Amino acid sequence: MNIIEIKDLSFSYRKNTPVLKNINLNIKKGEWVSILGHNGSGKSTLSKLIMGLLKANEGEIIVDGIPLTEETLYEVRSKIGIVFQNPDNQFVGVTVEDDIAFGMENLEIDREEMVRRIDLYSKKVSMNEYLKKPPHQLSGGQKQRVAIAGILAMDTDIIIFDEATSMLDPKGRDSIMEQIRELKEDGATIISITHDMKEAVYSDTIVVLKEGEILASGDAMDILNNKEVLNASNLELLLPLKLLHKLDEANINNEEMRDILWQLSLNK
Amino acid sequence: MNNIIIGQYVPGTSFLYKMDPRSKLIALFVFMISVFIIKNLLHITILLFAVILILRIGGIQIGRIFKGLKPILFLLSFTFIFQLLFVKGDVEDILVDANVVITSINIFIFIGFFILWRLLRKVVKFRFLLFITFLVGSIIMFINLTPGSPLFNNPYNLVIYKQGLEGAVFIMTRLIVIVTMSTILTLTTKPTDLNLGLEKVLKPLKIVGVSTEIMAMIIAIALRYIPTLLDEANKIMLAQASRGVDFSEGKFKDKIMQIISLLVPMFIISFKRSDELADAMEARNFVPGKRRTRIHLLKWTSVDTILITVSLLTLSGVIVTRILGW
Repeated sequence: MNIIEIKDLSFSYRKNTPVLKNINLNIKKGEWVSILGHNGSGKSTLSKLIMGLLKANEGEIIVDGIPLTEETLYEVRSKIGIVFQNPDNQFVGVTVEDDIAFGMENLEIDREEMVRRIDLYSKKVSMNEYLKKPPHQLSGGQKQRVAIAGILAMDTDIIIFDEATSMLDPKGRDSIMEQIRELKEDGATIISITHDMKEAVYSDTIVVLKEGEILASGDAMDILNNKEVLNASNLELLLPLKLLHKLDEANINNEEMRDILWQLSLNK
Repeated sequence: MNNIIIGQYVPGTSFLYKMDPRSKLIALFVFMISVFIIKNLLHITILLFAVILILRIGGIQIGRIFKGLKPILFLLSFTFIFQLLFVKGDVEDILVDANVVITSINIFIFIGFFILWRLLRKVVKFRFLLFITFLVGSIIMFINLTPGSPLFNNPYNLVIYKQGLEGAVFIMTRLIVIVTMSTILTLTTKPTDLNLGLEKVLKPLKIVGVSTEIMAMIIAIALRYIPTLLDEANKIMLAQASRGVDFSEGKFKDKIMQIISLLVPMFIISFKRSDELADAMEARNFVPGKRRTRIHLLKWTSVDTILITVSLLTLSGVIVTRILGW
């Protein structure tokens, strides 16, 4: 079942300079989709369009059977949560607790239920000891985990990660990736917008955007192995795959490779 | 940096901290009205002692109140002296009638006094009291000590009436009471609680079309972003300094240029941030003016009821005494 259907979507900030052109995309329920592309490929614009933060020039977006229009805007938004890039610019509350509660307050959830969910989801992202702390006493990774808890507490079916790890250090990024994997196991639909190939590895499907158009889409491992597609969109192969390709080019088969690696490690 | 976010708030555990911000705000308002109705020096002094009593029970250090009074010290002294010198009364109420003569000798004594005050001021604890002592000392000296030849021909005729002194003391006490009461509020209430309390108390303003929820949201976001923007300002200052801008020195014109080099990027960053924040808030289903549930609960206890009752009793008492003309 498709939870998000995008049909012939086009968008431009200014006339004659389209950011997105004729995007057609279906996302299945419970799927982890990575949208890859370099800067300016339109991937963040796509997420804002799905969220209804921008209005499409042409085309249709259907979320969970509801077409996105001005009337259904709030209904659609309540089904989608989004974690943005900059951890500082999405922290609304004065404390961690307030921030996790913010989305729930907007959804008019009862206070007892809010308290229960804050406890549950702050533990889930291991931020339960920081509930009373203000944001400037937290690290970037911790703020991003709070943002995730805030989205989880709203109990949305779809979660978009819009370059959510790009401003974090490797440790922070790993902990966020761990969170996303857990969410996926719990049955959430995940759209991860990124230019980091290491993140895309974990997803089921990859969509590659280039200059506002879908260059390729399909099974994650197929796309990651497709050198032509990646080269065309200025993305780099993952190191192990790159190594494999180089070895292929040099006509070295698996046994030879093993020998060479052994020799290298023994020489050391 | 932390100082700006928490304002004057000092953590504590006394009953003042456990009270509802709403009751504190309402009581403060009622007490302030009382203070403005009172015209009697005795009554305002009683109120001052009541406030001091609250301070003692509430476990607030007097020193903190002095800190709150510091910014209005100039205003206090100015109104005091103004009242003292310019309020006229009946002839039989004259307290002081003296000619102030400035001679070379008492100028020297005054300079001596001044130096002594500058020296002592570093060691003595109650600087304000010391200042007053020396001020009064100098005035008495100018009035009574007049040897030597006068420097000016016409001596200044200093007349102080009983009414002037009373008025001066009264206005000073009134200002001190008002500032002390509001300082108690800000000392014992977190800015976020104060904000929430204000939102609820001012809710009736909805009739005239002012949405207190939106105002409170704006204040809350401002409070949350102060440290972030301060951080940003620091970064920009470092970046500018590494390009050769010296923020510590320079003429007035240079200073303006330095401020501009800080302000322009700060403005741009703030706009960018607010844009992204608006997106993030909308994405989390925020609709301005729509009903929201709240995570923060305000708890009204018996202490709050007592405080409101006391404040209303004070107000009615004050009104009655005014009408009866006591």
